[in-house]
Formats: sequence, structure tokens, C-alpha cells
Amino acid sequence: MAKTLVDSRGTACPGPITDLLRAYRKASNGDVIELLATDPGVKADAKAWCQRTNNEVLSTVEKNGVITVEIKIMGKKG
Amino acid sequence: MKNVAVVGGGAGGLIFANTLAKEMSEDIQSGKMKIRIFDGSIYHEFQPGYLAVAFRGRDPESLRRYLSGLVLPGVELVPENCSKVDIDNRFVVTEKTGKKFEFDEVVIATGSKPDYSQIPGLSQANHDFHSSARASADAYKRLQKVRWGKVVTGIAGVPYKCPPSPNESAFMLDEFFVRRKLRNEVKVTFLTPYLRSYSNETVNSIIEPIYKERNIEIITSFNLESVDPEKELLVSMEGDTLPYDTLFLVPPHTGAAIFKGEEYADSDGWIKTDKYDLHVTDHDYAFAIGDATNLPISKAGVEAHLEAIVVANNIVSEMNGSSDRYEFTGRLQCSMETGFHQATFVVGTYDKPIERIQPSFYNYMQKKLMERIYWASLKGGYEWLFRWHFGEDYYRKTTRQRPPAQSPKVQNI
Ligand SMILES: Cc1cc2nc3c(=O)[nH]c(=O)nc-3n(C[C@H](O)[C@H](O)[C@H](O)COP(=O)(O)OP(=O)(O)OC[C@H]3O[C@@H](n4cnc5c(N)ncnc54)[C@H](O)[C@@H]3O)c2cc1C
Repeated sequence: MAKTLVDSRGTACPGPITDLLRAYRKASNGDVIELLATDPGVKADAKAWCQRTNNEVLSTVEKNGVITVEIKIMGKKG
Repeated sequence: MKNVAVVGGGAGGLIFANTLAKEMSEDIQSGKMKIRIFDGSIYHEFQPGYLAVAFRGRDPESLRRYLSGLVLPGVELVPENCSKVDIDNRFVVTEKTGKKFEFDEVVIATGSKPDYSQIPGLSQANHDFHSSARASADAYKRLQKVRWGKVVTGIAGVPYKCPPSPNESAFMLDEFFVRRKLRNEVKVTFLTPYLRSYSNETVNSIIEPIYKERNIEIITSFNLESVDPEKELLVSMEGDTLPYDTLFLVPPHTGAAIFKGEEYADSDGWIKTDKYDLHVTDHDYAFAIGDATNLPISKAGVEAHLEAIVVANNIVSEMNGSSDRYEFTGRLQCSMETGFHQATFVVGTYDKPIERIQPSFYNYMQKKLMERIYWASLKGGYEWLFRWHFGEDYYRKTTRQRPPAQSPKVQNI
């Protein structure tokens, strides 16, 4: 199990989900991706993305304008 | 003597070198400055034109110019790629002849390129409309043979250059089959790993109704893992499958291979770049512009252009002993053709959210105008028009001091 820190602060278009998708391609089930973003849309988008891809949001924390979303990768096939 | 090396003679590298050469012509003539562009390509291509080649049968040759004809007097073109850019020791090495050239300042403008290795099977199955004029011409040959079935277009992986271009391909494919009166026989599907037809909701809200109206299917959150060309099947990372008959996908991109493993690049070869002053982070005399950077914005020509202007102006100021300094505003402006002579634009900056711009014929004409002035703009022509058009977003005067160099605290993949 590996933890990847993805710094997407300041990203608006195409947005933090682009960085999440890049990290997801390299990740395996059991890994955790910690996504840092300042785009407020990331909260809803990360949640919806996890629902659709069968991954799990472990936590969403907002502090000093930085949103940290922890995602556990568990949706990849075997 | 100030020795400036420009690695990559595409849109960004040419605009940078030619603008600097125009401004510093006296210093160049008197031997106080030397500008060299390194690039092994014979031609430069107008990349936005690839779509018209692939989906309208435009002549691919019309998109090309000799690179040697695009550099102004005062700029030396070294017709070789670089195999090494040693920023710490201030030299580059050329790929074929292994020559070493020293520099005082370096600008990295090596663009981005498709990386088929990330998705097994994709290169065999795909008709690539996005990577070269020649590949687009081959895609058009294939398109002309399609009479029925499921045509899948869209995004195979991220990042890639020109974020709206996959959407444009869907709209242009629809137009192609409507004009050929084959639309009822051909199903057009747009595939994306994002949650919506365009990653940004403002743009999505404008184009999603067009997809519905034109009966173009949208499949979201599809993370393409591999393609089975024999079974004509797309397989997602989550195990979902999608059959296709003809495939026009945009592959994921990477930076130039020579940067992988360099401390100034991330693991995919994108150059770690300051989003405002465009210094390669930690290096005062190295800059990166255009697609090659890891900046949190679209990879597009407008960005390459405005970044080139910022870096050129800062070097001119420095040479002239002026304290004026400029920074990049993050301005993006990507055109998105929605078919049938209509287009919208994706416009924003680091500070301003993406604007809501309805598709119109006027926007389409603006896109066409850009094509008309493209070649002259690479030589620094029409800069007055860009300055007027972008207004306060053209660049920003700054008094910001560069913070002392430090290692990034978090890993940016
Ligand atoms: C289908 C399509 C549609 C597009 N539409 C638009 C649009 O509407 N609007 C827009 O703004 N942008 C658009 N773009 C994107 C735009 O073309 C690019 O973002 C732009 O060309 C980037 O400029 P650049 O200088 O960073 O890279 P490039 O113009 O790609 O140039 C990179 C150069 O670096 C050279 N190079 C690579 N490796 C080395 C090396 N090791 N040593 C030396 N040289 C090297 C290459 O040969 C090349 O000449 C589109 C792109 C595509 C593919």
C-alpha cells in the first residue's frame, strides 16, 4: 500500500481531477491518494468520481482555503 | 555576451526567440547577445488544423512551414534536438552530433507528445487525429470508409494538449456523417475519464445540450486501461468494457523523454515551473514555457504565446537595466468548434473563473482569423492585436521578488 501526495493547489481548468486521474492510472488497489486543491469544486467532484469508479473518499478537510481529500483506491479490477 | 539557448522551436520557442531578437537587434548585431534555437524538426505544423485534416479532408501540406523560414535574422537555428539540458552547469548537448553549447540563460519549450505506451492496444486500434498532419490525413482516409457502426471519440488519458479538441472531434464527426447523410447509420460516442462532457462545469453546461440535440452519446468516468483491437473492445481500469467499430481517441501525453529523471522535472517529464515568472523552480536563469511545463493550466498555444512574451520581456528589461518585471496571468483561450460553423471559447486566468461564452459564427470566424495570422505571429507579428485582445490579461507588471530557492514540500506527480 502506497500513499501518493498530489498537489493540485491553484488548478482550475482542466482542474484537480486531471491530477487525480494521472495518479489513479499509476495506483493499485489499497493505495491512498491525498489530493490537495484550492478549487472548491473538488469536494463534490472527488465524491462523485469515487462513487462512479468504486473508490472511497476517506476524508475531506478544509483548512486555510486548502481542501485535502483522501481517497482509498479499491475500484480497480483484479 | 549573453548567450540564450531555446530548446524547442515550436509555437512558444519561436515566439520567444523572435520577440527577443526583434527587441535586442542592436545587441545581437554588436555581439552582446546570441540566441540559438535547438530543434531537430524540419517543419513546424499548425496543430489546431489537424482536426480539419482528419474530419474535413483538408490538405495536410497546408499546415506546414519549414522551421528555417520561421526564425528571424539574429536567431541561429541549430537543426538538432538536445539530448541533455544541464541547467546547473549551463550547457546543452545535441542529440546527433553530441556537440556541447554553453548558455547564460535557457528557455525550455519542448512541448508535449502522445504516450501510447500507457494504454496497451491503443496504438494499433486508434486513428490518431491529434498528433501530426500526416496521422490526421490517415485518419481521414479511414473515416471516408465508415458507412455504419459505432464511432468512439474522446479522451483516452490525461493530460493532453488543447483540452477542447476531443469535444471538437465529436462535433465534427457528427457534422461529417450528417453531411454524408449517414448519421442514422452511425452512432457517435464521446468517451471521457472526467465526470462530464468537459471537465469545467461552466463549459459543460454550454456543450452538454448540444450533445443531446445532436444525439451524440456521452460516456463519462471511463478510465481506459487497454484496447483489444481484435475484439474491438475498450476495457476500463474498473473492468467495464465498451465495444467500438472505429476509434478516434486522444492519447495521454508526456513531456520530452530527455527530462525524465532530471531533478527539475516531475516523473512524467513535465518541467517544474513557477506559475508567474516561469522560472524553472530553483533556477534563476532557466525558464520553461508552453506545453512542456507542469503549470496547472491547459496545454495550449495561447498559453505558450503569452508565456513567451513574459519571459522575453523580462530578459529585455534585465539587459536594458530596467527594474520592470512581468508575470504570466494564467490566461487561457482555447477555441472549441461545435460544428456547422459555430464555436465557443474556454477563457479564464489564474484569478478569473472560466467565462460563459455561447457558441456563435463570430467565434468561429475568430478561430479562422487566428489561423490566418498564425505564421506571422510566430515571428512576433500582430503583437499589437494580441495585446489589445488580451488587455489586462496579456501580462501583469509585478514587483514580486523571487522567493529564495527551496525544495517543494509536496510531491507533484
Ligand atoms: C488537434 C489540436 C488542436 C489544437 N487547438 C488549439 C487551439 O485551438 N488553441 C490553442 O491555443 N492551442 C491549440 N492546440 C495546442 C497547441 O498547438 C500547442 O499547445 C502549442 O503548439 C504548444 O506550443 P509549444 O511551443 O509548447 O510546443 P510545440 O509547438 O509542440 O513545439 C515543441 C517543439 O519542441 C521540439 N522538441 C521536442 N523535443 C525536443 C528536444 N529534445 N530538443 C529540441 N527540440 C525538441 C519539437 O520538435 C517541437 O518543434 C491544439 C493542438 C492540437 C494537437
